[in-house]
Amino acid sequence: MIPVDLLIDKILPAFITFYLVSLGHSIFEKSGILNLAIDGIFFAATGAAILGAYLLLPIIPYPPIAGSVLAVLVSILLGLFMSTVLTFLPISHGAVGLSLQFFSYGVGIILGYSVRMRYGTVYQIAYTREDVLELLVISIVIGLTLHVLIEKTKLGVAIRAVGENPHSASALGVKVMHIRIIAAIIGFALMGLGASLFILSWQRTWDFRQYSQGYGWLAFATALAAGRHPIMLIPVSLLFGGLASTQTDISASLKVPTDVAKLIPFLAALILMLVYSSTGLRKIFASPSSLGKPYYKEEKSI
Amino acid sequence: MTSPLLSITGINKSFPGGVIALDDVSMEFYPGEVTAILGENGAGKSTLVKILYGIYSPDKGDIFFQGKRIVIGSPIDAIKKGIVMVSQIPQLIDRLTVAENLSLSLTSVGLFESMKNVRRVFKEISDKIGIKINPDAKVWSLNYTQKQLVEIARAVLLDAKVLILDEALTYLPVEERRKFYVYLQRFKEEGRSIVLITHKIPEALEISDRIYILRRGKVVGSLVRENATLEQIRELMFGEAAKLITYERFSNPYEIQVGEPIIQVENLVVEGEYGEIAVNKVSFKARAGEIIGIAGIVGNGQRELLEALVGLRRIRSGRVIIDGVDVSNKGVGVIREKGVGFIPDQPLRYAVSAENTIVENIAALFSRQQVVINWSSMIEITNKLIKEYSIYPPNPNIHVKLLSGGNIMKVVVSRELEYATRALLAYNPTRGLDEATATFVRKKIKEKAVGDKVSIVFASEDLDEVLQLSDAVFVMNRGVLYGPFDPVSTPRSKIEELMVM
Amino acid sequence: MKYGGLIVVALSLLTGIGVFALFSWSIGINPYYVIESILTTFIFPGIVKDFLILSLLGYALLIAFKGSLWNIGAEGQMHMAIIASVYVTLILFFTTEKSLPIHVSIGVVLLSIVLATIAGALWGGLAGAIKAYTGVDEVPVTLILNYIAYFIGNILVYGPFRGKYVWGYVRTDLLPAPYKLSISVKKTITGDPIVDTLNGYLVEAIIYSSWITALIIVAIFTYWLFNKSSLGLKIKILGSNPDYLVTLGVNVKKTTVTAFMLSGAIAGLTGALYYHGALWRLEYPLEYQTMGYGYLAILVTWLSMLDMKFIPISAYIVSALIMGSQRVSSLPVVREAFAVIGLGGAEIAFRLLMFGSVLLSYSILRFIQDYEIRVVKS
Repeated sequence: MIPVDLLIDKILPAFITFYLVSLGHSIFEKSGILNLAIDGIFFAATGAAILGAYLLLPIIPYPPIAGSVLAVLVSILLGLFMSTVLTFLPISHGAVGLSLQFFSYGVGIILGYSVRMRYGTVYQIAYTREDVLELLVISIVIGLTLHVLIEKTKLGVAIRAVGENPHSASALGVKVMHIRIIAAIIGFALMGLGASLFILSWQRTWDFRQYSQGYGWLAFATALAAGRHPIMLIPVSLLFGGLASTQTDISASLKVPTDVAKLIPFLAALILMLVYSSTGLRKIFASPSSLGKPYYKEEKSI
Repeated sequence: MTSPLLSITGINKSFPGGVIALDDVSMEFYPGEVTAILGENGAGKSTLVKILYGIYSPDKGDIFFQGKRIVIGSPIDAIKKGIVMVSQIPQLIDRLTVAENLSLSLTSVGLFESMKNVRRVFKEISDKIGIKINPDAKVWSLNYTQKQLVEIARAVLLDAKVLILDEALTYLPVEERRKFYVYLQRFKEEGRSIVLITHKIPEALEISDRIYILRRGKVVGSLVRENATLEQIRELMFGEAAKLITYERFSNPYEIQVGEPIIQVENLVVEGEYGEIAVNKVSFKARAGEIIGIAGIVGNGQRELLEALVGLRRIRSGRVIIDGVDVSNKGVGVIREKGVGFIPDQPLRYAVSAENTIVENIAALFSRQQVVINWSSMIEITNKLIKEYSIYPPNPNIHVKLLSGGNIMKVVVSRELEYATRALLAYNPTRGLDEATATFVRKKIKEKAVGDKVSIVFASEDLDEVLQLSDAVFVMNRGVLYGPFDPVSTPRSKIEELMVM
Repeated sequence: MKYGGLIVVALSLLTGIGVFALFSWSIGINPYYVIESILTTFIFPGIVKDFLILSLLGYALLIAFKGSLWNIGAEGQMHMAIIASVYVTLILFFTTEKSLPIHVSIGVVLLSIVLATIAGALWGGLAGAIKAYTGVDEVPVTLILNYIAYFIGNILVYGPFRGKYVWGYVRTDLLPAPYKLSISVKKTITGDPIVDTLNGYLVEAIIYSSWITALIIVAIFTYWLFNKSSLGLKIKILGSNPDYLVTLGVNVKKTTVTAFMLSGAIAGLTGALYYHGALWRLEYPLEYQTMGYGYLAILVTWLSMLDMKFIPISAYIVSALIMGSQRVSSLPVVREAFAVIGLGGAEIAFRLLMFGSVLLSYSILRFIQDYEIRVVKS
């Protein structure tokens, strides 16, 4: 039986973090842009979260919400840059994504560091336990709504169309840039929100060295392992979030270094990715056909 | 006389690097008329279409719609004006349903609306024009004709004033094409305008009221159908190259010996992209020096059959025997090692590496088993091929991406013919080439079969090509292979019937 | 555009330095100090070490990148290799002697280097095999493998590799002196800046002479691979059009794995050389200990435009930028300014921003160059 404290203070916040970040990432990638900036933008959003909790207080009186709002804004800003540049110019998604990752690490440190030095811990600006339960409900509702949006509505169809084949989609009458911008706003808003919860409800501490811990990559792996499916993401996020958040407890009870527990989610992500891609499940969870392919709009862009 | 519905005046379009695609092109499209734009590959047809549909913008010149000057900035602008295009490759997205595809063009459907209304409207239109397609079917499950029907239904749904058919019906057999003519006739009667883009002269003569001929980006002829003759159009389309072009059958100078066949295919079953049966119990034999031509509409299993023969696709059951050895599922490497050349569909995409030089592209095939490449012998082969096929520029160390499409195709064809000591497998070996080069390539293929006793199996969507080259004709329809038929004695109509039944 | 590529590289670097200078200026530092500091680093003997390691890793990545296999995992491949070397030198053949017979020293070092190279090749090959046989994109796989390598290293350093002479630190023992590859040279200072700089380069070259030898061998091998061998041609075609490779009957999976193994092997070799020549021990946690050479090497390889001639040049530029940004951070004016805005201790943000903006400008500007190529085609 899992103790309630562990559940509410660690497992649930970790689940919500991973669920929102991987959900946003999935929606964004469905529009056909490979998001290799995820880890950087995740970290930049965490820096924005603690800065926002103080900076935006005059406008938004509840610190954690103020933090989340700034995280969402910073994340959207970086995401829009990536989305528009990659739709406007036929350049490598991988190169832009990774470059933006490093850039965003720098942005994250600059946003978060001075606040961290001035105020120390994040406890006083974090979400409460009641908030966590509310956030849990909200995330699940967002997930289900997005599932319906993607599968049933014209916007969802347009996002999938642009990810499958931007040229055909454009010939059918879709404005590729508009749809990718919408997907970027939805996706990066969720990624920013999730990243803010990483700091404001799960870790409750911020350190600039967190940029090398790779939680953003773990969310990336979560999305891959769940085939970018909003419903499948729930169990996978719970599993990875659960493992990532209980690593110290696992290491204490099994008497192994914490690195063993840190290792497990990455290993599990790798193995799950392999299982999905080497079995029949590949068809169901296949990536969008044009994911990561530079979009040549012919010479119009010049 | 009525005024034109759509007209263009003085359109110029050049691409960076100084290539002039369209040079002072003016055309008028009248309501209630079919206007054909004829020209061979590279004449500027597709650039013109892309300008009309808002994919390109012209450097100079104006577009007038119902007498007013308009700017078409994107396909959705064109759609809103009532200009709708159906192209040769259906612009539908495979993993979406029919209704989902259609919803993307309908500005009346809101972003957060479901597919309910689209489904209803599509049903209404389908009943009206008499097509039976389930709006919830995924597009990949439809065949080529059905996809084109969906495109036509889309045009009706969008209340198209101008319907552009960009080679959309060109590769359909006459019978199937005539089915579409019924819809087009109704379109005309309603005062709409149809623009038919094609490189096949008979197709243009069949239905159009007015014909424009494009050559090297210029309008070289504007004819009314009644006054047009095939010879005259041919002269205008090809200019001085006309004498190099022939559709005469290449006959085999002697009888194919009744010896052991090189390629034997027995009861072959192959799966398609989505696990469906793409090739269904196909059997045939190809002897030394014999050319087997497989006719059929795109998507009837020809691709899968050829890919299975060369080892690119898994064989579910049945056997492929080359030179007496069972090579089923042995992989491309083993099959190629037996002296099998292969020209896939879209060779520029699948049969060449643009970032590498000509000699590297050739060495990749001829030296793939060596550890260290003998470059001097590779240069020798390359120079020989460059001379024989007059590849331009004649420099083995130039990057393939700097060559024109026709010259890249020559690199591919020459390399594979040189390599093919026993057999050659090919799919649409001349697609995308200008007619003079296409004739040249077909001649080379024939020479190879006759001269080196190589057995050749090829599929083509162009029935003229199949009839010109083959010693035995087969027809492939929904994975089943019919034949062999004698290309001389079998009536064309019988073959076309088999293609569509 | 013949010099298009060079212009792109130059503009990217200028953008990076520009962002750096702009940021400095915004926090009240005279950009003159920053630019001067970075530019003088280009003639600074201290960058030889980074230059050699980054050149080696640049070649490692070049082999994979030529095949459009985006090996982001040099970091992990290096670490797995260092783990192998640590095992050989600190577990199997640990010694407290100050000197050993020369043949023993050479034997142990060679064994360590060979095993490290194999370890790197296997770790790279693992990513290649995953890519080849399951089709999972190699970028997330190599990244995840980097983390797995860090954590494996950490577990080992915490447990079986923890040293006997470490006074409570979580780290391994120091590499025994007989196994050290660097040659210690005593520096003399004359006071003449030109003589001292030249002398400095000479001293560094002697200290790292084994790395220079390795670099020459690796460069020759890379040249042979891509200009003489059929494997190299296959890798190049894999990068340009894998579909063509398939229709040729070449085993694409095998080619992918081999390219990854070669890439990992050179990264592994570099890891061993770095350990024997400069690192000398592993310290917990690994992810903060090394300089992130594996990631910097991506920058080096990209800036070389995948042209092997330019690998050392771009490695030199990157080393100068990295060292330069460190030197800037240690300027008293800069430290003061950082402390004022509350960023004291987080100067790494500077480097990340510069690193990111150089790469970003490069990725975007490259488009102009690619576009020129399409011009000729049409």
